[in-house]
Amino acid sequence: MPKIQIETKKMTKYYPTGEGLFAALKDVTLNFTEGEFAGIVGPSGSGKTTLLNVIGSLDTQSEGEVIVLGKEVSKLNAKESAALRSEHIGFIFQTYNLLPVYTVYENVEFPLLLLKMPDAERQKAVMDALDWVGLTDKAKSRPTQLSGGQSQRVAIARAMVKKPQIVLADEPTANLDTENSMNVLETMEKLNKELGTTYIFSTHDAKVIAFIRRKITLVDGRVDSDVIIG
Amino acid sequence: MVFKLAWKNIHGAGLRSIINVFIIALVMIGIIWMQGMYAGWMRMAERQSREWQNGDGRYTFRSYDKYDPFSWDKSNGKIPSELQSLVKNNEAVPILISQGSIYPDGRMISITVKGIPYNQKVLKLPTSELKDSKYNIPALIGMNMAKSSHLKLGDVLTMRWRDIHGAFNAADIEIVKIMDTPEMEVDNGQVWIDLARLQTMKDAEGKATLIVLKNSKDISFTSADWRFQSIDDLLIDLHNIMKVERAQALIMYAILLFLAMIAIFDTQVLAVFKRRKEIGTFAALGMTKREIIRMFTVEGMMYAMLASVASGILGLPLFIYYGTKGWKMPSSYESYGIAGLSDTIIFYYSPQMILSTIIIVILITTVVSWIPTLRIARLKPTDALRGRLS
Ligand SMILES: Nc1ncnc2c1ncn2[C@@H]1O[C@H](COP(=O)(O)OP(=O)(O)OP(=O)(O)O)[C@@H](O)[C@H]1O
Ligand SMILES: [Mg+2]
Repeated sequence: MPKIQIETKKMTKYYPTGEGLFAALKDVTLNFTEGEFAGIVGPSGSGKTTLLNVIGSLDTQSEGEVIVLGKEVSKLNAKESAALRSEHIGFIFQTYNLLPVYTVYENVEFPLLLLKMPDAERQKAVMDALDWVGLTDKAKSRPTQLSGGQSQRVAIARAMVKKPQIVLADEPTANLDTENSMNVLETMEKLNKELGTTYIFSTHDAKVIAFIRRKITLVDGRVDSDVIIG
Repeated sequence: MVFKLAWKNIHGAGLRSIINVFIIALVMIGIIWMQGMYAGWMRMAERQSREWQNGDGRYTFRSYDKYDPFSWDKSNGKIPSELQSLVKNNEAVPILISQGSIYPDGRMISITVKGIPYNQKVLKLPTSELKDSKYNIPALIGMNMAKSSHLKLGDVLTMRWRDIHGAFNAADIEIVKIMDTPEMEVDNGQVWIDLARLQTMKDAEGKATLIVLKNSKDISFTSADWRFQSIDDLLIDLHNIMKVERAQALIMYAILLFLAMIAIFDTQVLAVFKRRKEIGTFAALGMTKREIIRMFTVEGMMYAMLASVASGILGLPLFIYYGTKGWKMPSSYESYGIAGLSDTIIFYYSPQMILSTIIIVILITTVVSWIPTLRIARLKPTDALRGRLS
C-alpha cells in the first residue's frame, strides 16, 4: 500500500472580493500517494493554482482540512511552513522564476544553502541535478542567456536538487513549444521514476495530459472527475 | 549567503548601484572632510591660544575678571617666591594688567595695558623689542589694533593710566613693533610694554596679575591669592564656540545624509515593487518573510559599506591634501575676529571621527533600507508570485 502524502478533506477556499467572498475551491476531498504523477486540469479560473498553493502551504484553506506529510498546514506558523517547503516541497512555475542575478549553478544551489548543506555534499548535489536535466555545460550561464526550455529545466533542477518528497508544478509547459515541452515532461517523468518523487501538475496542455497517470478535473472549484489513466 | 545574494543583486543592478554608492560616498567624504576641518581648526586655535596667550595654564590673582576693568587695579599681587625661579628660568611669565587710554590724533581710545618681561620666552609675543630704553615707552601692538586705531610703526602718542592708588599719570609711548598674531585677545585693544616699566608706572613693584606657565605638569604650588586655571579652563570659550559651530555643521550633515537616503529609500521601494515575483519565489523556496526582509535590508546596508570603501579611495587625495597642505581662509574672514582664522587650517581626521561617521552612515542607511521592506511582511506569497502587491 503506497503511503498517503497529501490529504484534503472537504476543503474550501474563499477569496475576499468586492462583492463578498468568492469560493475558488469548494469541498475538495483528494488524496495523493507517494510517487504519483498526477495532473489537475480544468478551464481557466477553475482553481488549479489555488489548490497547488494551499497544498504547498503558500496559502491556507478557509474550511476543511489539508494534511501534508502528516501536518495540518493551516496550523503551521510562518517558520514551520517555510521549513516544510524548504525541506520537502519543490515548486515549478509557468514563468520559471529563476533568480536573475544568479548563475544557473547558483540558482540550483540556493535551496541547499537554505538547508545549510555542507559544501562538498552541496556541490555534488548541484552537479547531479544539472546532470539530470542535461545542463551541466550551462552551469556558469545566467538565466537571461537561456531559452525557455533550458530555463524550465534549470527550474526543475532547482526543485529536485534537495530530493523533495513532493514537486508542485503550475503549468510548467505553458510557455514552451512542443519540443521543449516534451523534453521537460520526459525529464520530470524520469525523475519521478528514479527518485520516487510525487509530482502534481496543473495544466491545460494536451501534451502534459498524455504523460500523467492520474487526471483530476476541476470545474468551478469542484472536483468534477478523478480518474487513473493506464 | 544573505551577503552573497545581496552583493549579487547590487552587482546586477549596475548603474543604479554605482550611483547609490557614489552618492553615499560623496556624503561620507563631505562629512569627514568638514569634521576634519573643525577638528583641525580646533587644534590650531588651541595651539595658537597656548603659544600666544595661555601657555599651559596659569595662576590668576584672586578675583581677576577680564570683563571687569575696574577690578583690575585690585587684582594684582607679589609674584610668590615659589614661582620666582620658574620665571627666572623662562618656565613662567608674569603679566600685569592695567586699564589705560591713548590719544592718537586727539581721539581717546580705551585700552588694556599689559606688562610683560621683554626677555620672556614662554609666549610667542615679540617682546624683545620692548627692551630698548628710549625716552618714550616702547610699546608693542597687534595688526588689528594698528588698523582700528590708525597707528603705524614709529608713532608716538600719549597714554594715560592710573597707578594702583588711583592717581592719574600720563606719558608718551612709541610703537616699536606691530605684530601679526592670530590670537585676537592679545591684539584688539591691547598695548604691550615691558613689565618692569609698568610695575614702576603703577607703583606695583614685583606685582603681577597673571603668571602664565610653560608647563603645568609638575607644578603643585597652591595659594589662597593665586588660583590655578588649567588650559582647559581657559579654553572654555573656544570650546563653547566650537560646540555651536559643530551643532550648525550637524544640520548640514543631516541635509547631506537626507539627500543620500532619499536615493536609497527610492531604490528599496522600487526593489520591493519590481522584485515581488522574486519575493514570492523566495517564499516558495522556503524562506520566511523575516529572512526575505533581512536580505533586502542587507542589500541596502551594503550600499553604505561599499560607499565606505569608495569614500576611502575617492576621498583620500582630498583628505591628504587638506591634512598636509591645509586650507587658508580668505583674508576677509580675519575682520570677523574669529579665533585663529588668519592662519592655515591643517585638517585633522581622528580615527574615532572616521569610524563613528562610517558607523552612523551605515546604521542610518540600514534603517532607511529596512523601512520599505516592511511592505514584504504584508505581502502574500501567492500574490507576490502572481506579480501583484497585496
Ligand atoms: N487573490 C485572489 N483574490 C480574489 N480572487 C482570486 C485570487 N486568486 C485567485 N482568485 C480567483 O479564484 C479563481 C481560481 O483562480 P486560480 O488562479 O486558482 O485558477 P486557475 O485554475 O489556476 O486558472 P488559470 O488556468 O487561468 O491559471 C479565479 O476565479 C480567480 O479569479
Ligand atoms: Mg493558474
